[in-house]
Amino acid sequence: MTLIQERPGGPGEPGATGLVAEPLTEIVPGPRPRGVVKFVTSTDHKQIGLNYLVTSFIGFLAAGIMAEVMRTQLIGPNNHLVGPASYNQLVTMHGTVMLFVFGGPFAFGLANYILPLQIGAPDMAFPRFNNLSYWLYLGGFLVMMAGFLTNDGAADFGWFGYAPLTEAIHSPGPGADMWILGIALTGFSGIFTAVNVITTTFTLRAPGMVMFRMPIFVWNELVTLFLVLLAFPVLTAAMALLWCDRHLGTSFYDPAGGGQPILWQNLFWFFGHPEVYILALPYFGVVTEVFATMSKKPVFGYKGMIAATLTIGGLSMGVWAHHMYTTGAVLLPFFAAMTVLIAVPTGIKFFNWIGTMWQGVLTLNTAMLFSLGFLVIFLCGGITGVMLAQPPLDFQLHMTYFVVAHFHYVLVGTTAFGAFASIYYWFPKYTGRLLDEKLGKISFALMFIGTNLTYFPMHDLGLRGMPRRVFTYPVNAGWTFLNELATIGAYILGIGVLFTVINIFHSMRRGQIAGDNPWDGQTLEWATSSPPPEHNFEILPPIRSERPLWDANHPDQLTEVGH
Amino acid sequence: MRLEMRTCFGAALFLGIVCTIYWFWSNEDTGTACLLFSFCAYALMGSYFFLQWKRRKGVPRPEDRDDADMNDGEGEIGYFPAASIWPFGIGLGGIFLAVGLIYGMWYLLIGGVFVVGSIIGFVVEAEAREEGPADPGMPITATGDNPPLTSFQVPSSHSQGA
Repeated sequence: MTLIQERPGGPGEPGATGLVAEPLTEIVPGPRPRGVVKFVTSTDHKQIGLNYLVTSFIGFLAAGIMAEVMRTQLIGPNNHLVGPASYNQLVTMHGTVMLFVFGGPFAFGLANYILPLQIGAPDMAFPRFNNLSYWLYLGGFLVMMAGFLTNDGAADFGWFGYAPLTEAIHSPGPGADMWILGIALTGFSGIFTAVNVITTTFTLRAPGMVMFRMPIFVWNELVTLFLVLLAFPVLTAAMALLWCDRHLGTSFYDPAGGGQPILWQNLFWFFGHPEVYILALPYFGVVTEVFATMSKKPVFGYKGMIAATLTIGGLSMGVWAHHMYTTGAVLLPFFAAMTVLIAVPTGIKFFNWIGTMWQGVLTLNTAMLFSLGFLVIFLCGGITGVMLAQPPLDFQLHMTYFVVAHFHYVLVGTTAFGAFASIYYWFPKYTGRLLDEKLGKISFALMFIGTNLTYFPMHDLGLRGMPRRVFTYPVNAGWTFLNELATIGAYILGIGVLFTVINIFHSMRRGQIAGDNPWDGQTLEWATSSPPPEHNFEILPPIRSERPLWDANHPDQLTEVGH
Repeated sequence: MRLEMRTCFGAALFLGIVCTIYWFWSNEDTGTACLLFSFCAYALMGSYFFLQWKRRKGVPRPEDRDDADMNDGEGEIGYFPAASIWPFGIGLGGIFLAVGLIYGMWYLLIGGVFVVGSIIGFVVEAEAREEGPADPGMPITATGDNPPLTSFQVPSSHSQGA
């Protein structure tokens, strides 16, 4: 590792004291709420972040149970564990909860907890607004799940709710309305969070924390919430139009009244594809932090990484209709080209991740293993993504299990493995205790094997023509063995997740004490105590590169600036 | 400030170009409208930063200077109430409104009362701080005095000038 040659205010300049610290903040003393009152009223970004993380993890477990039921149903041909109606509800709510309750909000939770710490801010820019986002999010979760309690059951038209199936005449029950309003509530929550995080990043950074010294995780969250700001309003508007169709007799999407079902598809996917990157980019940031810390190196190609993130964010706004190739109503060359182009910045990221680890002193702990698992699984998902971007192939494979395999490789790879990496990496910061490494490694091994065993056979199932969302299949279709494999894999994956859940409960009380900086971290969240005090920092190291804490702790290995 | 401005204008520029190409190539209305509004959103944000930058006459904020000292951030940072019940009230009202849009008028009324009442509470709470006794945790002020460093060993080559 090389030393820095020149940096502003180098040695010899007058006034260089060698002692720089803090914005210590003055806090008015007074009683603070505790317990349930704290949970309800707290405007502390750390409390709200934890609320988000815990709630979204519960959503992950709920949607995971739905997935296990579906896989059990599909273990053999002509199985009748659940009927077609229940299966449709499960498939819809599994997707909806995973996307709107787990994937995005888990990243919002990380943005809430970690992002202000990493930029040296005392709190989020709008603390009360932040609290409001959480309540809208929780309300949305509860409202959409309450659909299961109604007579007709929850929404059952698939998570992208194509018109005219969602119109009142085809889906008369209140479950569909609960789905619409639940998503609208989480949509508002997402927009508010985006406003909050972007403002925080732009205006509350510590002195010296210029944009090009922010950790990659902060950059990725920033770009993610840029996308949220563009995508979620469109979704909420689409939901409002759908509600009007169902209740006020308008016909935006109803061809019987002169509406266009394709309008829904355009609006939904204009949200839906940026959403995929909203689910992926924050976790790219997580694994970047993990790779850098666990390799004891700075991020390789720091500015290239930021450029790649911005490029992915930009391009993702122009690819929505690659979900709609087979409608025959979209501009194929435009969307195919934009989609394939996204592979370029994503490839840059892969090279930079490998470059970060290259010749580093690697620590292969659980967080690192999950990040490596992320790399492998997401790569497979990315490659099938480029395949599906080709219209001739997509026309063959559209709505088959190949697509299911593709997006589960992408989303399990990024969202699930990234989220688990973040749990193992930042749990010491949340609680002051380390998670158990042995349980963690068992959990990783089972999840990695389970993921591949579940989703890899689905590629072949798709090529053999098994359509998505069927609740059963005939004996002579030749799909039985692969489905058995997938179901066994799903059980292994579920057991792997259980190990982490046990680990969390075990380590919360009996885990090894972590100390402030268990990983020899590089970024500012490790410069404060675990868990951090109110308004975060007693003292801050001077910020002269993208890893200020490392520079302060390793004065002989200062970060090279401008690489 | 300038980099924030460039990021937003850059996003707006990109979206504007994509929007133009898409419009002339596809003649499809929905996507064009969405892209146009995306362009406007980022042009708006960029313009805000441009105006702020103009207003500051190009003087960078402490977080925009790569040689800034922590003491440069001295002053009141903002209003950060330690706790507030009003967001919960708005959220609860939001749920009632949602249920009301499905099941009927009465829930809408309850939700409306909750939302409007809580918004009033929310706003009054922020204004009350001007007169009333200090609420715990607000306002946050960065102190200007340097305490002695304890946990970090910072070499002189690594600190900044005056």
